[in-house]
Amino acid sequence: MEVLLGIAGKDFVILAASKAAMRGPTVLKAEDDKTRQLNKHTVMAFSGESGDTVQFAEYIQANAALYSMRNETELSPSAVANFVRGELARSLRSRSPYTVNLLLGGIDPVTEKPHLYWVDYLASLAPLPYAAHGYAQYYCLSILDKHHHPDCSREEGLALLTLCTDELKRRLPIDYKGMLVKVITKDGVEEIPVDNDKVVRSA
Amino acid sequence: MDKLVAQYSRPPHQNEMYSEQEQQDLTASVPPLSLKFSLPPVDNRSAFLRAMTDDHSNPSCPIKLAHGTTTLAFRFQGGIIVCTDSRATAGNWIASQTVKKVIPVSRLSRGEDKKTNEPTPGLLGTMAGGAADCQYWLRYLSQQCTLHEIRHKRRITVAAASKILANLTYAYKGYGLSMGTMLAGMTPQEGPALYYIDSDGTRLPGNLFCVGSGQTFAYGVLDAEYKFELTEEEALNLGRRAILAAMHRDAYSGGFINLYHVKEEGWVHHGFDDMNPIFWDTKLHKGEFSNVTSAL
Amino acid sequence: MSGYDRALSVFSPDGHVFQVEYAMEAVKRGTCAVGVKGKDIVVLGCEKRSALKLQDTRITPSKIALVDEHACLAFAGLNADARILIDKARLEAQSHRLTVEDPSSIEYITKYIAGVQQKYTQSGGVRPFGISTLVVGFDKNDSTPRLYQTEPSGIYSAWKANAIGRSSKTVREFLERNHQDDMDREQTIQLTIKSLLEVVQTGAKNIEVAIMAPGKTLEMLPDDQIESYVKTIETEKQEEAAKKKTRAGTTTAAILTRPGGGESTD
Repeated sequence: MEVLLGIAGKDFVILAASKAAMRGPTVLKAEDDKTRQLNKHTVMAFSGESGDTVQFAEYIQANAALYSMRNETELSPSAVANFVRGELARSLRSRSPYTVNLLLGGIDPVTEKPHLYWVDYLASLAPLPYAAHGYAQYYCLSILDKHHHPDCSREEGLALLTLCTDELKRRLPIDYKGMLVKVITKDGVEEIPVDNDKVVRSA
Repeated sequence: MDKLVAQYSRPPHQNEMYSEQEQQDLTASVPPLSLKFSLPPVDNRSAFLRAMTDDHSNPSCPIKLAHGTTTLAFRFQGGIIVCTDSRATAGNWIASQTVKKVIPVSRLSRGEDKKTNEPTPGLLGTMAGGAADCQYWLRYLSQQCTLHEIRHKRRITVAAASKILANLTYAYKGYGLSMGTMLAGMTPQEGPALYYIDSDGTRLPGNLFCVGSGQTFAYGVLDAEYKFELTEEEALNLGRRAILAAMHRDAYSGGFINLYHVKEEGWVHHGFDDMNPIFWDTKLHKGEFSNVTSAL
Repeated sequence: MSGYDRALSVFSPDGHVFQVEYAMEAVKRGTCAVGVKGKDIVVLGCEKRSALKLQDTRITPSKIALVDEHACLAFAGLNADARILIDKARLEAQSHRLTVEDPSSIEYITKYIAGVQQKYTQSGGVRPFGISTLVVGFDKNDSTPRLYQTEPSGIYSAWKANAIGRSSKTVREFLERNHQDDMDREQTIQLTIKSLLEVVQTGAKNIEVAIMAPGKTLEMLPDDQIESYVKTIETEKQEEAAKKKTRAGTTTAAILTRPGGGESTD
């Protein structure tokens, strides 16, 4: 039960991923980082089949780095997203497809506009103002439908995220060990400290 | 169906700038990551393997793999503790009670020819899952680490070694490998480092891991008393006690307690001890295991 | 023609592989590149071909290329060959990161580049790379500057300072005379530019300079800064020349610039 959340606002994108690495009945690690930075302005958060996730993310990471090195330019978030989708689509038609769902958030370095993309393991790509993967979709999308507006400030965005994570704490039957939150702005990527120990009571 | 898929799907790198052959040629100075094995002449090998070996779904399967284990490793202020049991089971049958489930990695420092109890430089790997898989691939890793040491004139980092193994298990994903390994070591670049690698291709750095059929029992004891500031003696005792708990409760774990300590200068072996005297000592002198009666 | 230069992988009776030697000739005709190690910095300098009137110098590729975030390379010889080799090196650098997590050491990259160059001296149907490279950078968690050279034959070697390409001998001799260990940033840049000026007559507009420091990415020295370096070096030179002239011209009516006024020993 992995949680991925993404919120785009006026001049930023928030990506959040749960911190538990689970296998069978055990939490192997409670401080896992399910995100990878692809370049200065793009971050990818991923969930899915263990092994596949990290291998795919690091493959994309290496190719993004190779591209910027070869062409002395950074790929825009939309370019990365379409590249990722293409790779997933190619792998889908191979003998061993990557079973990875991901959210991709970034700021276009030229226009300085935020972009958020939702990609699933069947290689669907959708640009969205806010997005989620897994069971989090069932709880959070309704909250975001109600409270999100496209030019919300960073503080409003983080408050909105808290609204979502609180609900997940309240209703998800499994402890996902809190969230790792990253905010992407035109100045780069920043990890936001969050209070994961907060107790949320059910009604 | 699988045949059809195989016919129409391409290997993942086919459309890239360099052909696979070219890539091979250009990187041939680097050792190939995966070896070539001859595979059984059937369409779906992993399904075949499962039918032959999985005694869970088919108790009369012809091949019974050696399984069942408890292994643990954790980081603390004085280094890393690595501890395992020593039982190997094949189905309900105890195949061996004296398996060495801690495997020193890197040939230059296996410490085989040393009789003293001085620290031996190098990494330690643990073995859970298929005994043959673990032994074989840790030996392969050993070979790669030794080559790295010779080529780069310095010892391989635990990060790099663990990644070699994880890439390997990932390349063989779906072929029926069964292993859950921890790699522990200390290098000047990274300090004490501990990684968990399994046959899914998962690779996780961490402070504390338990692997095997008895992992839950070991976690129970370990999590309750673990803290980073443990002294060396406390850490050794905690590791030993956690394995004992698992050996006591898990039918597939038992035999001897194999205990290691990884320090800055290398690893030190702290005994391969029969669990029974330790169990009775723990029961009679500390009053634990009160559900077991000693009265006749 | 002796015939021993027809197929690449054929030795001449006296043990030469002519194609490789021709490749080294191509390197000698390439523009000059210099690498200098300082105390905790390493600097690359390159002679830039003068651009034609309509050429867009802003986007014409440079002779200095980034191989990975922590490693960079300058070459002398055939530009087109270099492009291919650099691309291979970049791919290997990323592949190294992907397979062992850590970035590759500078020695590893050098060894890889030299390995590729060697391969092209021993295979059929190919010709050697007509380039020499200077590979510089810093290993991870290490502040020792590294400078390596590779040659078309596949030889690689480590240096404190070195030059490749046109008139590299003159420049290397200049470096041998003037290089010191423990140079700071300013001194290292100055020495690099000074050594290049030995063979580049046209001055700042035909020089490019790249600087690497531990934990930082490549820094290309802006043109105006190169210009100011060149200017100070040139005025220094002129002053020295003037001094020499005055000393040579006026032996008796010495201008008393120094209180002693006698013969100087410098």
